[in-house]
Amino acid sequence: MKTSFIKEELLFQQLATAFENVVIEIVRKETVFVYASKEFVLPILLYAKEKLGYNSFSHLSCVDWIENDEFELVYIIWSPETKINLFVKTRIDRQNPTMENTDMIWRQINTYQREIREMFGIEFPGFVGEKEFILEDWEDVPPMRRDFDTLEYVNDTFFEREGREDKQDVRERIAKRSGEEIPDFAKKYSRE
Amino acid sequence: MYNDNNAQTIVEYIKNFTRKNSLFMLAYGTGCGAIELPATLTSRYDAERLGVRGAATPRQADLLLITGYLSTKTLKRVIRVYEQMQDPKYVIGFGSCTINGGMYWDSYNTIKLLDKYIPVDVYINGCMPRPESVIAGFKELQRLIAEGKADGATKYKENLDWYRENQKKVLKNWPLVEYNW
Amino acid sequence: MNTILFQLSGALATILLAFTVGMFYGGIRRKIIARIQNRVGPPIYQNFLDVIKLYSKDTSIHHGAMQHMGPVFAITASITSLMFIPVLNGDGWFWFKNLNFSGDLIFLVYMMVFGSLGMALGAGQTGNPNSAIGVTRGLSQMVGYEIPFVMSMVALMAQFHTTSITGLMNIQMQENTWLMFSNPFAFIAAVLAMLGMFHYSPFDIVHAPAEVASGPVSEFGGKYLGLMMSSGSIFAFVKLTLFVDVFMGGAANLIELVIKTFALYLIPVLYGVVSPRYRTEQAITYFWKWPLFFGILAILWASF
Repeated sequence: MKTSFIKEELLFQQLATAFENVVIEIVRKETVFVYASKEFVLPILLYAKEKLGYNSFSHLSCVDWIENDEFELVYIIWSPETKINLFVKTRIDRQNPTMENTDMIWRQINTYQREIREMFGIEFPGFVGEKEFILEDWEDVPPMRRDFDTLEYVNDTFFEREGREDKQDVRERIAKRSGEEIPDFAKKYSRE
Repeated sequence: MYNDNNAQTIVEYIKNFTRKNSLFMLAYGTGCGAIELPATLTSRYDAERLGVRGAATPRQADLLLITGYLSTKTLKRVIRVYEQMQDPKYVIGFGSCTINGGMYWDSYNTIKLLDKYIPVDVYINGCMPRPESVIAGFKELQRLIAEGKADGATKYKENLDWYRENQKKVLKNWPLVEYNW
Repeated sequence: MNTILFQLSGALATILLAFTVGMFYGGIRRKIIARIQNRVGPPIYQNFLDVIKLYSKDTSIHHGAMQHMGPVFAITASITSLMFIPVLNGDGWFWFKNLNFSGDLIFLVYMMVFGSLGMALGAGQTGNPNSAIGVTRGLSQMVGYEIPFVMSMVALMAQFHTTSITGLMNIQMQENTWLMFSNPFAFIAAVLAMLGMFHYSPFDIVHAPAEVASGPVSEFGGKYLGLMMSSGSIFAFVKLTLFVDVFMGGAANLIELVIKTFALYLIPVLYGVVSPRYRTEQAITYFWKWPLFFGILAILWASF
């Protein structure tokens, strides 16, 4: 049976006519991805909120694509009428990570931006928020970046109780047990 | 006659007896272990029959119960709460996370060994310890108090420099105020 | 026999009696609450253990001079009020006569407020915001229950043309009746006000541990908390004995006193166990409805 994507198709049409340089993908029912470059994010969010009724902001998250030397920011917004989750994804440079401030659209983005600034080190110029969010006086690499070595930091900073020398990375063992393959990019940053 | 050893022993015995049978507990419930405490204190397990009751503020408390993991951010507050408590005071570490880090053994933000930062009298093992284990921990603490061995507060005062050094290693730019005790 | 030494030993005996009885009543209350919640509960001497432990604790907190004076004020007020309460009636045990004079009922109504004021001063000095909230709540609640209480006392004083507690007790002995029967509305108003005076649930908004971290005493530990607890026990005895003296004809001996005060004590305890906590404005509204109505009725009953 073929699922009908009537409202998703409608959203696709609306976004495609409004913006030219974006890639739109209907992933599954009620889930639509929009890949845009970083300067189109603010117009898309504004357009979706004001014209299309996507007035609920769900989440802002960040993914560290260290292989491509990029961060990916994902804005998830939702419309109570069409019930579609709209994912606006953008990639930014990893060496000089800056992103436009968007907390004038939804005020709660402010909190997410504070978290991402602290955990990934991404700067949002012109954005007003307390510098410290969860970590206090953190001096190291932002801890959610994949090049931050957690175990090394732990060994340097904290004490360790004797008798826990058997602790080890069990990802490979679990993968073997369930018959899965660990992809290469994950192996590269594995702790073995 | 009044200052001889027997009189001292009797006074100490009475003090320790009242101390062990009247523990005002301050539950520092930042970890997941706080969920075991309502069951411990209410109808089913009833810790009040042992004299354990909740205290509202650190000033009134004898017993600091640290339920589960401590992040570096909460460690600051725990040290402050511990130093605000009045002597004699006792600490119970509750759950594997306070003993050796538990499942947070490689977390960048969670301390692994509580007794390097504040003196711990009794550890309760488990993840999570059930109310039976918690009551067993209270009983063990009462035994230590009756024998006069629960002297964490004295140790803390004597080895303050060592504890401060350990604390400074984690809390780098945090002013550790000297509280009156 | 009327020497100063005699008076002093009587006073000491009264304080000891009040302390012991108040402490045991507190322990029995904890036991009753535990049994109603289907628990075993602490032993009834638990409050003694708590107090001895608290007195043997170090106390090294300093926030200012008033912080050290506050608990002292509280226990001074309790003991002073106790000194003006005739513990036994008639020619009862001569030690418990204490310092009665004509007009002591009016003096007591004022003196019973003094403890709360002392505590408010001490709590204010600590600078803890929870203390400030607790003190505000306590004073608001006091405005609530003092009005029906004073009205019922005024009704009694007007009805029998005496302002002395011993006078009221003598009247009850002569007429061979209790004032709770000869002016029932005054008794109802006073008992409803007593619910608030004890600060037990549902009127425990002052000390609510979950809301304001035990309110005024939140910054007091060790010996000061012990002083507060002793003061509370003595004050509970004061209130109960005052009510027994005024409304139930006093007691001829200590056993009768214990029976009567305990029967009276069960009212706030049992009412409290099954009631959740009121909010501040609900508590004040409570006192300004039915207790006030019964207070007015009592005054009308006394005038006609």
